[in-house]
Order: sequence, then structure tokens, then C-alpha cells
Amino acid sequence: MECGRHLNIQLLTLSEVSAISGEAGNFTVTVKESPRYVDPDKCIACGACTDKCPKKVDNEYDAEAGKRKAIYVKYAQAVPLKYQIDPNSCIRLKKPGACGFCEQVCDAGAILFDDTEKTHEINVGAVVLAPGFEVYDPTDAKVWGYGVFPNVITSMQLERYLAASGPTEGHLVRPSDGKPVHKIAFLQCIGSRDENLCGNGYCSSVCCMYAIKEAVIAKDHVPGLSASIFYMDMRTHGKDFDQYMERAKNDSGVRFVRCRVNGVETDGVEGDLRLSYVNDDGRQIEESYDLVVLSVGLQTPKHVLELAQNAGIKLTADNFAATSDFSPVQTSQQGIFTCGAFAGPKDIPQCVVEGSAAAASVAELLAPARFELSTEVEFPDEREVADEDPRVGVFVCHCGSNIAGVVDVEAVEKYAATLPDVVYVERNLFSCSQDTQDMLTQTIREKKLNRIVIAACTPRTHEPLFRETLKAAGLNEYLVEMANIRNHNSWVHSSTPKAATAKANDLVRMAVAKVLLNKALRPIAVGITQTGLVIGGGVAGMTAALNIAKQGFPVHLVERTDVLGGNARDLKHTWSGEHIPTALANLVKLVSENTKISIHKNAEVTAVEGFVGNFRSTITGLNKSKIVIEHGAGIVATGGEPYVPTEYNFDSIPRVVTAIQFDKLYELNETHVKQAENLVFIQCVGSREKGNMYCSKVCCTHSVQSAIALKKENPNRNIYILYRDMRTYGQRESLYREARKLGVIFINYELHEKPKVTETGSDIEVEVMDHVLHRPMTLKADMVILATAIRPRKDASTLGKLYKVPVDSDGFFQEAHVKLKPVDFSTDGMFVAGMAHYPKPVEESVTQALAASARAVTLLSKTEVALDAIKATVDKEFCDGCALCIDVCPYHAITLKEETAEDGSENKYILINKAQCKGCGLCQGTCPKRGVYVAGFTMPQIKAQISAALAA
Amino acid sequence: MLDTKKIGSVMVVGGGVTGMQTALDLADSGYYVYLVEKSGAIGGAMAQLDKTFPTNDCSM
Amino acid sequence: MSFEPKIVAFCCNWCSYAAADLAGTARMQYPHNIRIIRVMCSGMVHPEFIMDALSQGADGVMILG
Repeated sequence: MECGRHLNIQLLTLSEVSAISGEAGNFTVTVKESPRYVDPDKCIACGACTDKCPKKVDNEYDAEAGKRKAIYVKYAQAVPLKYQIDPNSCIRLKKPGACGFCEQVCDAGAILFDDTEKTHEINVGAVVLAPGFEVYDPTDAKVWGYGVFPNVITSMQLERYLAASGPTEGHLVRPSDGKPVHKIAFLQCIGSRDENLCGNGYCSSVCCMYAIKEAVIAKDHVPGLSASIFYMDMRTHGKDFDQYMERAKNDSGVRFVRCRVNGVETDGVEGDLRLSYVNDDGRQIEESYDLVVLSVGLQTPKHVLELAQNAGIKLTADNFAATSDFSPVQTSQQGIFTCGAFAGPKDIPQCVVEGSAAAASVAELLAPARFELSTEVEFPDEREVADEDPRVGVFVCHCGSNIAGVVDVEAVEKYAATLPDVVYVERNLFSCSQDTQDMLTQTIREKKLNRIVIAACTPRTHEPLFRETLKAAGLNEYLVEMANIRNHNSWVHSSTPKAATAKANDLVRMAVAKVLLNKALRPIAVGITQTGLVIGGGVAGMTAALNIAKQGFPVHLVERTDVLGGNARDLKHTWSGEHIPTALANLVKLVSENTKISIHKNAEVTAVEGFVGNFRSTITGLNKSKIVIEHGAGIVATGGEPYVPTEYNFDSIPRVVTAIQFDKLYELNETHVKQAENLVFIQCVGSREKGNMYCSKVCCTHSVQSAIALKKENPNRNIYILYRDMRTYGQRESLYREARKLGVIFINYELHEKPKVTETGSDIEVEVMDHVLHRPMTLKADMVILATAIRPRKDASTLGKLYKVPVDSDGFFQEAHVKLKPVDFSTDGMFVAGMAHYPKPVEESVTQALAASARAVTLLSKTEVALDAIKATVDKEFCDGCALCIDVCPYHAITLKEETAEDGSENKYILINKAQCKGCGLCQGTCPKRGVYVAGFTMPQIKAQISAALAA
Repeated sequence: MLDTKKIGSVMVVGGGVTGMQTALDLADSGYYVYLVEKSGAIGGAMAQLDKTFPTNDCSM
Repeated sequence: MSFEPKIVAFCCNWCSYAAADLAGTARMQYPHNIRIIRVMCSGMVHPEFIMDALSQGADGVMILG
């Protein structure tokens, strides 16, 4: 977790903001830090305290499904990995003089029973509120039997039951009797879309997806398990979500039942549960299950509401932070921003996007103060050691009793001293502690050590720390190796201490053998052109370009047409009612007037070379005029395009129109629209069917919004919306509610029973299946409005190939990681925003554009990037240019160089682009001639380890 | 307002996946960040989830 | 004396090496006969490494990635 180690991030855990004063650019924030009762500088997270602690309480991390001790660490991979005492359950803290076992067993002396609350006053330029959500507690609603019947659990509890690190180690058993589960039911919308029972009228946006995921995983865990999801509308509107649902239905056999379950009752003595509901056909059904999972919604916690009140932040009717659609992370207070679930319920990718977007908005505000308070560490000059004889120092860590409790560390110390070139050995209680680090620096200098072996834990977590220590001692950071005698030894062989000691000796011998061949390596510095390029002049592209410019960096904006605005030029209102043309005109004005933005209209990118920090893109304009733009980062915001329907007789009946066409007619007060008494909307035209198995995300909200306007204009109109699942997700649910109150009629249809639209004389007839009556019914319509899909641009993959960025199976651009890198491409330095990525409403395009800008500026704000020195290197003496490595390189980092020498002989060899190389060494494993090696993992180094491993 | 000195540090309240992303992006572009978390460790709700989000992927 | 095989394992830094670390964190117990060599990717393992290990007395070689 990078946050824990970042030089410019200070973690304040167990802390809460109690007051904010000041103004944008200069706030004073009061933070209260509760006592941890454990000294984090001393705690090495060995776990001895937890082992001995006699007090067990419910574990909130396991959603109360499991137990933890009074002294504990939140979870195994926690950052910081420091224990804490829960003062509400600790025996000692409640009764002085009692217990105190943890203090006795803590070798590090980290227990602080007299720790106290601290108050910090911190001066900052901006505040970002990302306090998250709490899950709805279904106890009070009573009808679900939660808290009464033990086999009714929440989805968060099921999540923990399914986790290998959870209370049952991933075994799905019934809480009441520990019996295996055969039949599981998920009830959706518990604490969401329900004003009566819980007061939360909004849709929580994430529960449909997590329920499907949990059902699929539960079925994986328990062969033959029957899993049913009871829902009102399946809202799987995110990228690839519909495909996931189809797989759950067809491959995993998850059963989906559209209904609202009335309640949960007990079914006899065995702990089984009975559900009753009215099915699609209007029949009353009763079914029994042995586990019922409540898909609980998200809500803003009480302490966050208090914080919002203290900070003067306005909230929406649903108790989320109020924001504008065109500045989606700005709260009602200047300089205070918000993101994540506090700004409305949302899933992980959208949270990550908003997190980056908040960073972009903060950086826009604080651009003049960039680099004023951030720090960089300075190290002494490096000592040249290449010509020195090797002098290896070995440091054997006890890790409290973690290593020393199993391995005979004194024996290891003695053994290490006998190894060749080892001139110094010592043991440390904790090699990683700050005082040992200082001591190490001194010892390296005094004993003139030039190779270091740390026999301790894993290099994956601790090598960066010891590299810093070497740098502080004036030694090249790559002259250290770690012998992992804890994770790979004392912890896994605790019952065979003799064998563990022998293995520790072997591991030290292997590390010494390798470190003798280590060479000084230098991180590779790649220069960065501090200019951005944004492709696409729609809302997303303009927003990104404007943010980059306002952060202080020049940016080129390339638009293929002769006008800025993109698809938004066809839109009228955002879901919350903001007027799009006004906001769009303002955006175009700001972009056009900003001197840091160079706009290239009628232009397209036609050629690209270079890599992160150093792209050169060729732009071809009118009359084939070409210019080359040098840029450090690029954002693809080329948008999507509307689907032109062929179904529902769109071609032949003039009064069957698309939603965008209808909007125009409505705005013009066209006669047909004005006089229309009966209007039928048909949803999912071109979406969510074979070949286009994705949801276009905006159409449900759009149709509902149009329906409300039409009904308000003339309440006597008959308005029908034929839908498959109404996806007015998040706070958009309020529109759906309003439409129903106004009398808009919603009729559900299935994919295999699509409505039929025909023209008879002057009438249009729409035939749709009535599920209650089991027969088709016919609606007379003056107009039929088709909610048509959003398609990817056909030329997306052409642009994608130029930048080596992929498109997905639907044709939208594919981000680097669906959850954690939602705006990055796998190609470093390239980012994506807007509908080029997936269909989305305007406000989400704005957010994603800000996020892409923030990500791009992490590069543009630097003059160079330093890359790890573990890279492939060519040995020209042996490389004969056979090029076998070029095909296997997954990062396209290798090219073939052919040249003619002065004597006329042909010379072939490979070139490696270090900026693209990730050091995986597939080239090294493939090369038949030893013409290429990975620095730090060379053939001789690994061979030395093999020989050392087998030497004893 | 114009001549008010702006401070080059930011407070991010909430150490979940959202707050961590904000903190990292700001720290990586020249700002000093205070990341304030109510509980004893950062990670938020995402750290409680099983599968789909393997911890090895959670590079924060 | 019972047979005590010597196994050399090449573990990828990003997956199997990390998995071996986690096995430790979880205190899973397994036989001590294995010696792990960290590589940056299992694709880095040259065929010669396997030959070297077997010819120098390894009873088995594992490549995990």
C-alpha cells in the first residue's frame, strides 16, 4: 500500500476532524486523535499480544460475524500494520492493575496503557471529504427477521463468510447450527428504494452487482448450491456488468426472481426460513431457504452528517453531499471537496474516478502552491565500490521472538561469519526499527562494508526500507540482498526448529552468494515533456484540457469536427435539472479563452511515436496539413455515437422517433408532440441484447425525465414506458418515484417478447405482453419514442492501435484495471475519459475527465520520472540479433537494430527501451546466447543462488 | 482573496479507496497530504470485500 | 534416516513469492525441504537453471508463476 510509505502523505489514524475554519486556500483543521495504547514506532506487529489477550469481542471488520481480541490489528494486510487496544473491551484499561498480559509478552515494549487523546491543528489549502458510507442496519425494520433469526445475515456478513480470511475461513455454513448451506436467497433493496421501512428512497447502486457476485462465488464454494436473487429491477448498468449477469444466469445457474418479498418468517424448528412473495404472474408463492442474505444499501453515517453540519456542507434530500453536475466534486463550501460514497452511492471504479477528480479540482485551486510543502529526501554522495574487494556485512534479525523463537539465531550468526567475504555479522532485535537503521548506517561506514545481507523478513515489504538505509550510508542501494528467514522459514516451520535453523543458514548462504555478484545500479531517469494532449473536444475532452491548463500546463485539444461540444450539443438537461446548453457554452468559452490551450479543429491524430513522458503525435488537419505535437501524457476522450435503429419500424413510421429527435421536436413545440395524447417510450433499443450486451446507462433516466415533463405539461396524457429493468440508479430514483406519482405507466417486457410497433391508418399501435393477464395488450400511440443505445465510435480501434491502447469486445476503450485504474490505460502515460470508455451521463463524463487530468498531471508536474534499475540490458558482445526475445517481450520494449560497419560487415543486435521494460526477464529466459540480461537478476547471480542452495 | 497566500498542503478525510486515490494523486503531483482515518488502519470497506478485488491488486 | 529431498523453487516476485510470504503470515506449516529463489517473473527462468539445479543434486525443481 503506497499510501503508508509515501513521503508526502502523513497518515493520521484513529483520528477525526472536529472543526474546520478559514477559507479556500488557507484552512485550519482541528483533528482529534484517539489513543492507540500501542507505540506505533515500536510495534512490529508480531501478534504475541493478541495471542495472549484473554478478551474476545465481536469483530466489526467481519461485520460482527467473527471475533477479535481487545488488542488487535484491523486486518492482516492493514496499513499501518500496528496493533491497537480497544478501550471499550480491554480489561486493563477498564480496571487499572488487572490483566496486562500484552505488556508482559511484548518484546518491543510497545504497550502504552497511559496513552492519551491528542489534538492537532493543521494548516491546509484545501479539504477533501471522502468519509464513505455505512451499510444499512436492517434490525429496526423487523420484517426481515434480522437479529431474530440467526440464519438471516447481511450481504457484508456473507462477504466475510466467503473470504478465506473470514470467520469460517471461506466455508459457507449456517450461523445457527454450522450445517452446510444448500439453498440461499438474496433479498435486494433492503434499506434502498424504500421510503416506508427505512426512509432511504434512493437506489444504492451497488447491491445488484455485489449480490450477483456473492451468489456466483457462493455457488463456487458449495457445489450444487441453489441461489436465488429476489429483485425489483436488476441494475447492472456499469461496464461489463450485464455480461457478468448473463454469465451468472446461464453459466452459474443463479436464479433471478422479479418481485418484492413481503417478509421473512421462520419455518419450523430447524432454523429454515420461509419467504412469501407475489410472482410475475400475480401468484402468491411461498418458498423455504436455509440462509437468507439481505442486500443492504449504503447510507451516510451519523458522524459524517455531523461533520457536514460543522463544515457547513449542504446535503441532498437523500443525505449525500450536494454538488453540481458540472463541478461534481465541489461542495457548497469553496475549498472543500467531496468524493466517493458521500457524494452519492456508487461502486468502486466510480469511487476511484471521483478520488482522482477531487485531486484535480484541489490542484486547480492550489496550483500556485504546488511543490511548496512537498519534500524530497537528500542522500550523501555514493561511494564507488566496484574496485574494492567484497566486504559483506550480515545482519540477522530476531524479529522479537518471531524468528528467534524458532531459529537459533546465534548459530546463524556464527555460521554467517564462516562464509567467504563476510567480514562483519551482528544480530538485531528488530532490524527494521528506526534506531537499528541509524546504527546500520553507522556500521556500514565504520566497517567499510560494501555488500549487505539482511536476514529477516520479505524483500517485498522491507527491501525499499533497507535500500534507503544503504543510500543514507553512501552505498549504492542495489548492493543489498534479503534472506527471508521469517515468512519463508520460522513462521512456516515452527514445529521443526532444527530444520528451520539449517534452512536459515542455507538462505543466508544463498543471499551472500548473490550479493557478491551485485553491482551498483542507478534508477533510470526519463525526461518528461510537460505538455498534455487531449483527443476529442466534447464535454470530457474540454473539461480535461481546461483542468490541465488551469493547473498550469500547456495542452493541445484535438477535435475532428469544426465545432466543440460533441454529443452534449444534443442534450438539454442533466438528471438533476441543470441546463446543459448554458453550461456547455460556458465551457466552450473558458476553453477558447484559455491561453494555455491550443485548439486544433478539423484535425485527427494520424501517427504516434514515443512513450510515457515523450510522445510525438502527428495531427492531420484540413488539406492534409500536418503538425507534430510533443507531449508527456495523452487523454483519449473521443466519445461515442448514437445508434440509428432499424427495429420497431423506425424507418417507415415517421412518428416513431429516437429520444434525441423527440427532444428537438419537443423543444420546437412541434404540432405532433404538442397534440400527442398517447406517448409510448420503448427502452433498451439496441442495448442489452446479443452482440451489444451492455447497458447504455442514460436512457432510463432520460425517458423518465421526458415523461415527467410531458405529464406536467398535460396531466391528461397517457404515457407508457416499456422497460426491461428501470435503471434510475443512485439518487436518480427520485425521478422514477415522481413519474409514478404523476401517473406515468411502466410496463415490463422481456427480451424474448419485445413490443411490436405497427401503423394502422393514422394510428400507431404498440403491442406488448401483459404478464398479469397472460395475453398481449395493445396501446394506441400518437408517438413512439425509442430509447436508443450509445455505440462506441467505429474508428476507436484505429486510434487505439496508434497509442497501443486496446478496445474491449463492445468496441469501447479498455482501461488498465476495471476497479483500481479506471482512467489509466495499460500503456503508461495514456488515459481515457467520457463515453470513449463507456456510455455515461454528462456528470460522470465530467468526473472522469477531471480524474484523467489528475492522473496525467502526476506525470506532467515532473521534469523526469525515475524508474527502477531492474531492467533488461543488452550484452552486445553476445547478442547476434536473432530477435527471439522481441516476440516474447510482453511490453514491446525490444527492437532490432541493423547497421553496416565500416568494413562493410552487417551487424545486428537488439535495443531495449528502458522506459517500457518492466524487468520481467522473459528475454533473458529465452536468449540462447546470453545476449541480454536483467540487471539485479543476472544468470550468474541466479546460478550462484542455485549452487549455494545445494552446497550443503 | 486574490493576494491571499495559498497553502500547498491538503487534508483528505477518509482512508478508503476513494480517499487513498485522492491522497496518492495529490502527493504525486507536488502537494503534502494529511490522510485522516477514523479507524486504526486505512483500507475502508473495500478491504472487507472478498474476491474480485484481490489484495495483490490493491496497490495502495 | 528417511529420505529428505532437496527442492529448488523459482518464485515470481509478483505472485508465488508473495503467496509464500502470505503462507508465512497465515502460519501455514509445510515441509522445510524447499529453497526459494526470487525471480521477477517465472518467464525469467532459463532452462539452464533447471539443469544446473538437477545436476548439482536437487531432487526436484518447481517453477511457480
